[in-house]
Amino acid sequence: MTGPTDDWAALLRAGMAGDARAYRAFLAAVSPVVRGIVRARGRALGEAQCEDVVQEVLLAVHAKRHTWRQDAPVRPWVYAIARHKVVDAFRTRGSAIDLPVEDFAEVLPADPGEDLTERRDMEKLIGMLDDRAAGIVRMIGLDGQSAAEAGARLGMTEGAVRVALHRALKALAALRERHVE
Amino acid sequence: MKTDDLIRILAEDSAADPPPARRLWLLVPAVAVSLAAVLLTLGPRPDLAGALTSFLPAMRHVLSLALFALALAAALRLTRPEGRAALWPLALVAVAALVLALWAWMTTPPEARGMALMGKSSSICLFAIPVLSALPTAALFAALRAGATTAPRLAGALIGLAGGGSGAAVYALHCTEVSPLFYVTWYGLAILIVTAVSTLLGPRILRW
Repeated sequence: MTGPTDDWAALLRAGMAGDARAYRAFLAAVSPVVRGIVRARGRALGEAQCEDVVQEVLLAVHAKRHTWRQDAPVRPWVYAIARHKVVDAFRTRGSAIDLPVEDFAEVLPADPGEDLTERRDMEKLIGMLDDRAAGIVRMIGLDGQSAAEAGARLGMTEGAVRVALHRALKALAALRERHVE
Repeated sequence: MKTDDLIRILAEDSAADPPPARRLWLLVPAVAVSLAAVLLTLGPRPDLAGALTSFLPAMRHVLSLALFALALAAALRLTRPEGRAALWPLALVAVAALVLALWAWMTTPPEARGMALMGKSSSICLFAIPVLSALPTAALFAALRAGATTAPRLAGALIGLAGGGSGAAVYALHCTEVSPLFYVTWYGLAILIVTAVSTLLGPRILRW
């Protein structure tokens, strides 16, 4: 494997070693590819709902990143997660989908587009967290604060904010499994 | 929420969980409880040391532990979303067990076959092995839940085979039946019961 796969592997490896910037770059590189896959397969849903599915896939990639073996290629791993989550998302939204993973490599990456980037599903899930956890997620996500800044506002240490964030994201992944409709 | 915002949140969370294989220590207390249950309630067979070194009784342990190890290895491969598990090593164990049973059938005098097959303890065996397998199977589910299998039914079946194999190996410390006609049949059936239940539970427990 060459090209983007190697880049993804390097970024994810650095990310898992604690390099938040590399990890962010990894997620940013993965999301247009995932978006392309979701849109190519899910025209019936419309582009807006597709973005909800893209976010579900990203949350799953994040929650399950410890299942990537660092010497294995990243792309098949991402594709397998995307396929699993997309099939799941389409099933819970009431439509079956046939999704041969072999086709994923041919799908073109896609940008989010202007007017459909604000998605509701993740907001709904965040609303189901307890207030403190939801507050931390919103401060970092919507207000663009770092864990340290959020901690200063909440009277928590940066480490405590990170632990709370980690728990909140695990809870989000579990909630999505039960509540997405 | 915009996807970019979500990415920013995810990137702030730098604590990755340990991989599922690192949670297999859960097996240790589970198997220890099963061992204690057998040794304290049913008791070890009186000639245990001899039974572990002679071929036919020892094969119960060898086959059960081989099943445990190979099924566990395959289940671990399935914890990766892109993972595929080769099932032929498991088939080899099944073939070895059937060959052993066939050999016993041919070397047992016809009038003794029925008794060798039915033994004296088939019902306790059918009851005890699933009970002794319950905790190790639960421990395996708890450990592999941290994975991301895309084949939850097969993963559940493999967990059942591994858990059932461990339960059978533990039960064999007590069991005095030595004919492969008995143990291939009844151990096999007991392990299949555990496997059937685990296969049904797989998609529920291993969801993600």
